[in-house]
Amino acid sequence: MTIRIEILKERCKGCGICIAVCQMEVLRLSGDTNEQGYAYPVVEKNESCLICGLCEMVCPDFAIWVRQEEEEAMP
Amino acid sequence: MNRDRFHPDHPFLYADFFPTVWCAGCGIGTVVHSFIEALKASDITPRETGVVSGMGCSRKISECLKLPSFSVSDGRVVDFSVQYGLEHPTHQVVAFLNNADFLLTGAEDFLQLRNSGHRLTIIYINNFIFNTAGDDGFPMTPYRRKSFDGSADLPFNIPLLASSVGAEYIARWTPLRAGWIKNALMEAFQKKGTAVIEIISPCLVYDSESRRILDAAERMQFYDGRTVIQNFSPLNKLDLREGKKIVLGTFVDSAPGEDKR
Repeated sequence: MTIRIEILKERCKGCGICIAVCQMEVLRLSGDTNEQGYAYPVVEKNESCLICGLCEMVCPDFAIWVRQEEEEAMP
Repeated sequence: MNRDRFHPDHPFLYADFFPTVWCAGCGIGTVVHSFIEALKASDITPRETGVVSGMGCSRKISECLKLPSFSVSDGRVVDFSVQYGLEHPTHQVVAFLNNADFLLTGAEDFLQLRNSGHRLTIIYINNFIFNTAGDDGFPMTPYRRKSFDGSADLPFNIPLLASSVGAEYIARWTPLRAGWIKNALMEAFQKKGTAVIEIISPCLVYDSESRRILDAAERMQFYDGRTVIQNFSPLNKLDLREGKKIVLGTFVDSAPGEDKR
């Protein structure tokens, strides 16, 4: 079971609300900027995500979402 | 771009609207997201809705949603919503109002809702801002604080006003509590009458507390640190004034047919 945090960096405006609401400090602001000149969040500690969905809920720009995926069984 | 890279709310939104026109840290985008989540969680057909918004920043709400949505002229939002609801009785009509639509030009339409009991969900996005150019206050300008320069009057008590108009469901939240906005909208969709949800949203451009421009996350937490949740607190204690915490919560939740006026 893997957790995937998807970030559409071209939609992000770098407000940092997702980073502020995350209690597990999964996200951090990247040093890079997108096309419009905003710094976007990147995933730092994927394994400590609790899938609470707060970052997805508060994002005003529909730029981040969390999903859980079943791993394929090893042959 | 493969299919996995679509946001879960992608079917509800026009893709060419992004990046959105709202400022980074504005509360309107979160309200729109909560509205879509509430729509998905409740058993409403997306075709059987009506989203109405007026002018200003909240006008863009009806432009970004792939729902039956209308941008109407200034001050005719509640009037148009009532007419749309009368024409389509099965539709769930949601009106997004800003300060001007609610308390200045649209105030008489809102007062006309008294005793009529139309099925209508009103989301009032209150950011204390009306005038962007001059120095006159308006009914929601905080006491001795300024939309730009100066009001000596106390701001309106919106839950008390909504209760006197006969709203069946009244709540107040901030955008950082987006899950509560979603729950409030889901409860409001169940009502047969008017529901009023007030969202106290920060405006980054015109800063009403001090002239400092904080960054977006700090601004959200600034509002959130000055709030306290008290469900069903007395309606006459809910006015916003300096040195007093903003009370959030559900204030009126009446059963169908019950008269709480």
